Amino acid sequence: MSALTARDGLRRITVAQGETRVSDDVDVVLTTVLGSCVAACFYDPVARVGGINHYLLADGHASDEASMQRYGVYAMEVLINAMLAMGAGRHRLKARIFGGATMRQGFRDIGGANIAFARTFLRNERIALVGEDVGGTGARRVEFRPGVGVARCRVVTEALRAPPVVHRPPPPPAAVGDVEFF
Amino acid sequence: MTTFSSPREPSVSKTIMTVDDSPSMRMLLRVALTDLGYSVVEAEDGIHALETIEGANPDLLITDINMPRMDGFGLIEELRGQGCTSLPILVLTTESSDEKKQRARDAGATGWIVKPFHPEKLAAAIRRVLH
Repeated sequence: MSALTARDGLRRITVAQGETRVSDDVDVVLTTVLGSCVAACFYDPVARVGGINHYLLADGHASDEASMQRYGVYAMEVLINAMLAMGAGRHRLKARIFGGATMRQGFRDIGGANIAFARTFLRNERIALVGEDVGGTGARRVEFRPGVGVARCRVVTEALRAPPVVHRPPPPPAAVGDVEFF
Repeated sequence: MTTFSSPREPSVSKTIMTVDDSPSMRMLLRVALTDLGYSVVEAEDGIHALETIEGANPDLLITDINMPRMDGFGLIEELRGQGCTSLPILVLTTESSDEKKQRARDAGATGWIVKPFHPEKLAAAIRRVLH
């Protein structure tokens, strides 16, 4: 994640693939760019806490741990737990989903599978889906203000052709999937 | 409580109870565990697990931590307090803080697995406590 303060005084934090971010700061904007990936934005209007994730695949059986972090079911659980830890109530969560575009014709419809996963997950978890901008063939930029629950989504296909180079450290070998016996 | 049988039907099928408030996570575990040859019973939180564990008579319990009504810590403390000391209990959670691990250890957990779980590591952990 990287953060910068723009002229509007809002602090923008970029959420990369596989990342999750939660905040109650009204001056924060969580932003991410999506192709076939899907981002879910959750908001609790009582606790005034919001969060966003960004997953690449609905589900699967990757052999490497870093890839598993990118799956929707984990991304959703990490997001929900992080919000509950900040005082959100599970039954109050309202969700918006974005992304899931078909970026390459002729390939497996990853975007469609990601959208279907999000809708099924929210229905199974009884989380209200109050808005979505999904599908199509264009990439999107999502800007979500977690402290006020406002999300904005616009198509940015042209910009995606020359994405800014962002150097990120590899995800920490962390803990993911590790087993510890007591 | 719902019971799922292993498609492999091993000669002596072990039963694993999974406790997680997320239907999606329960489904993921169900697929992984039945693929490994285990029978699976499910509960959606600590209270549900306490209500059904006697009938399920599992050989292993795998529980999440963050759940409504009764969390994983409460479940482990309650089971150990009731004298259920021989049942291995693995915590499966997105949490990884030392403080919470210590709390689980103090409550009587057998082990701690960080989500997302790696199927092979999960299988190895189960074999270690069951066989």
